[in-house]
Amino acid sequence: MSDFEHSRGRSGGRGGDKDKDKGEKGGRRTFFRRRRVCKFCVEKIDYVSYKDVKLLAPFIPERGKIQPRRISGVCATHQRALQNAIKRARQIALVPYTTD
Amino acid sequence: MSTTRQYELVYLTPPDATEDALGELHKQVQVVVDRFNGSIEKTENWGRRKLAYEINHQREATYVLEVINGPGAMTAELDRRLRVFDNVIRHMIVRVDEDLATADRAKTRRKANMAKRRVKRGLPPEPTDAELHRRREESDDFDGGGDMPFRGGGDR
Repeated sequence: MSDFEHSRGRSGGRGGDKDKDKGEKGGRRTFFRRRRVCKFCVEKIDYVSYKDVKLLAPFIPERGKIQPRRISGVCATHQRALQNAIKRARQIALVPYTTD
Repeated sequence: MSTTRQYELVYLTPPDATEDALGELHKQVQVVVDRFNGSIEKTENWGRRKLAYEINHQREATYVLEVINGPGAMTAELDRRLRVFDNVIRHMIVRVDEDLATADRAKTRRKANMAKRRVKRGLPPEPTDAELHRRREESDDFDGGGDMPFRGGGDR
């Protein structure tokens, strides 16, 4: 946990350096609170069902795309399961392909 | 010789489909399943739901889920039949037995591991009610329940 805090602090520092030439970029970096734990591991969800829209919804941003792992912090195994589930849910119109 | 597998069939009917029409559809599915010596384990009607996108210029549909045990050849036949019906605007068949079995194995393994660790620490293999209660209280302030999903703009 402290390791995570440390690395975050450092990246913030780097962002601060960049701030001098690109203020906007640095500000953006600190805007996102990254979650470094996999929700499915923590909650011990073994089977990601395509029927459970409530479960899938947080991983589908407004645009309708699947949230990348580097942002949501989901582990590789569960991201794969999640991806399958979202794609199935899309087929039966539980979840959008795109929204504009 | 064909092995029995478990499938989930979801089909969508127009929102104006009557009870009779739904019953008729269910019967049709049953006929196909019977012909392949399968069985319908469970039927769930989710009722009318809003669609995430328009299908045939409709914004709503009635969802029906059927959990079916049967051979693989059955799904091909079901697929073919369902495509013909006017009353079915969308359908999907998914094989679930393998995934459910994997999930089940993971669960038992986790449970066994936990029991082993607990015994090593000199605790009873199963957590007591008091422990479970305390853990729930702790986890409450950990996640804060349903905190906001990430804002858009990060995924391009």
